[in-house]
Amino acid sequence: MFGTLFLKECRQVLKSLVYYIFLVAFVFSVNSQMSGESWKSLKEPQPGEVYYGRTITRDETLIMEGTLANLMQDVYRGSFATYPLGFYKKVALTEAERKKVEEILERCTGKSYEMLESERNRYFEIIEQQSTLEEVIAAETDYKVPVREGLTYEEFGIAMEEICNLVGKGSSYEKSKYENSIYVPMTYEGAKEEFAALCTKDLITRGYMRLFCDYAGIFLSILPIFVGVSGALRDKRAKVQQVIFSKPAPGMVIIGSRYLANLFMISIPVFVMAFLLQHPCYKMARSMGLQADFFAFLKVPCLWLLPEIMIVLALSFFITEFTDSILAVFVQTAWGIGSLFGADVLVGNFGLSLVARWNTFGQSMLYASLEKELLWNRGYYCLLAVVCILLTVIVYERKRQKGGAYGKVCKTGC
Amino acid sequence: MEKYVKLAVSFVKRQYYLHLLLLFLFVVFSGGFVSFKGLETEQAAKVMEMYVAFTGILLFTPLFMPEQDKEIWDLERSREMPMWKVYFLRFFLAFVVFLFVITLFFNFMIKGGSEFDLFILFRGTCCEILFLGSIGFFASAVTNQVVIGYMSAVIYYALNMGGGKYLGKFALFQMMQGEYGTWMYWLAGSVVLFVSGIIVRERMAVGSFRAAGFRPL
Repeated sequence: MFGTLFLKECRQVLKSLVYYIFLVAFVFSVNSQMSGESWKSLKEPQPGEVYYGRTITRDETLIMEGTLANLMQDVYRGSFATYPLGFYKKVALTEAERKKVEEILERCTGKSYEMLESERNRYFEIIEQQSTLEEVIAAETDYKVPVREGLTYEEFGIAMEEICNLVGKGSSYEKSKYENSIYVPMTYEGAKEEFAALCTKDLITRGYMRLFCDYAGIFLSILPIFVGVSGALRDKRAKVQQVIFSKPAPGMVIIGSRYLANLFMISIPVFVMAFLLQHPCYKMARSMGLQADFFAFLKVPCLWLLPEIMIVLALSFFITEFTDSILAVFVQTAWGIGSLFGADVLVGNFGLSLVARWNTFGQSMLYASLEKELLWNRGYYCLLAVVCILLTVIVYERKRQKGGAYGKVCKTGC
Repeated sequence: MEKYVKLAVSFVKRQYYLHLLLLFLFVVFSGGFVSFKGLETEQAAKVMEMYVAFTGILLFTPLFMPEQDKEIWDLERSREMPMWKVYFLRFFLAFVVFLFVITLFFNFMIKGGSEFDLFILFRGTCCEILFLGSIGFFASAVTNQVVIGYMSAVIYYALNMGGGKYLGKFALFQMMQGEYGTWMYWLAGSVVLFVSGIIVRERMAVGSFRAAGFRPL
C-alpha cells in the first residue's frame, strides 16, 4: 500500500505547477551563484609568493586586539552597527552608556580613553596623508589596539558580554562573531598545510560540494515550503478530503508517503545539480593527478542539505495540516530569511542555524574542527522533522475522526 | 456605495483579516528587527527595500483568495456586478492600507531623526513595493493559486539578493546602492502586471464558463 501511495504522490508532485516553479528557481539561483568556478584557481602554493590569501585567526591575542580596535572605532564614531535579525540596526548610546564602554576599553587596554583616542587619530592621520584609498581600507583592517598586560581571554569575554548588554543583540561583540571575524594573512607553511588538507581530507570535490551546499542551502530554506504547503492543501483544494478520510489506509501511511514523495522529488534536482557542478571539478582534479571523491555530490548534500529539506518540508506539512491555511508560508519564510540574514559569519558557526553557511572553497582544516558541530545541527533538524511528521499524523487522524478541519483556525484560509 | 462597502467588509471578514493581522504584527514588531533612528539616506533606503518591501507581498498577493474555490468564483460571476469591479475594489482597499503603512514607516524614521530626501525615497519605495506586490498579484491571478503568488514574489525578492544583475532595470534594492532612477520601471512594471493580471483572469473565467456550457454575461 505504501509503495503505491508513494508513487501516486510522486505523480501528483509532477503534475504540480509549484514543483516546476521550484525547479526553475532552484536551478537558476544556484547556477547564477556557482558560476565563479573557484576550483579553477586551485594550485599548490610555491615559496616566495607575495600573497597566499587570508585566514581566520585562532590566536587569542590577535582576536582581542582586533575586536578592541573595532570597539574603539565604534566608540569614536558614536554608533554601533547591529543586525538583530539580519537587518541593519544602528544603535547610538546615551552619555552614561558611552562612559561605561569607555571604562571597559580602559579596563582591557590599561590606557585612558583619551590616550587611546589620540593614538587612533595619529594612526589614521599618518595613513590618510601618505596612502591611496585601498591602502587606507587595508590599514583599517590591520588597525589593532594592544591589550593590557595580563588580560586573560576570559576577562576579555566578560567585557564583551557587557558591551553586548549595552548595544543589544546582533553586534560584532558576540563571542561567535568576534572569534570568527579576525582575519590574518596566511603564511607559505599555512597555505601548504591548507592545500594538503584539501587534497587528502576533502579530496577536492568534497570541498567544492560544501560551497554548493552553502548556496543551495539558502534557497532550500525557503523553496520547499511552497511545495509542502501546496502538497498538504491539495486534497482540500480538490475537495477530496472526505473521500480520503474514508479510505482504510492509516494516517501514517497517507502522510508518510506524501512526505517522502515530496522529499524525494525535491532531492532529485538537488543531487542532479550537485553532480553536474561537481563533474568539471572532478575532471580537473584527476587531470592534475590529484585524488578526488567521485561520490562527494551524494555524500556532502546528504549530510548538509537533506536534513534542511526534511525539516522545512515537515514543518510546512505540520503547520498547514494544523491550521488548514497557508500560514506556513509566512512563518517559515520569516524563519528562512531570518536564519540567512542572522548568520554571524559566512563560514562556520553552525549552532542551530537552519542555513549552515560555508561560503568558501576549501578551509578544510577549519571544517574538520567544526564537523562535530555541523553533525549536531543536522541531527537535531532530522529529529525535529520526524517529530513534526508524527505531529502531522496525529492532527490528520484527529481531523479524520472529526470529519473536517482541526480547530477553528482559518477554515477559509487556504 | 453601500454595496461596495458591504463587499469590502465581507472580503476583510472572511479572507483578508488574517493578512491584515500579520501586517499589524509586522509593523508592531518592526522596531525589534530594524532601527529607525538616525538613519542616513542609504540606510533608510535599506530598511524600506529589505524590510518594508514585504508589505507589498502581504497586501497584494491574497486578493484572489475567495475565488480559489471554483464554486465561489462561478457564483460571483453569476451576479450583476462585473468581476473586475470586485477586483478593483479589493485592490483599492489594499492600496489604501499600503499607503497608510508606508507613511507610518516614514513617520517612524522621521521621528527617529533620520535624514533623507522624503519625496525621492517615498516615490521609490512606493513604486518598488507596488512592483513586488504586483508580481504576487499577477501570479496568483493567472494560476488561481495564492501559494504560487507568494512563491513568485518571494523568489523574486530572493533572486535580487545575489542575482540582481540579471534583472536589469527591474532589479530591486537599487536605492540602497544610491540608484534612484529605476522607479519608473517599477511603476510601469506594476501597472502592467496589475492590469494584465485582471485581464488574463477575466479571459480565463470566460473560457472556463464557455467550456462548462454557459454564455458569458
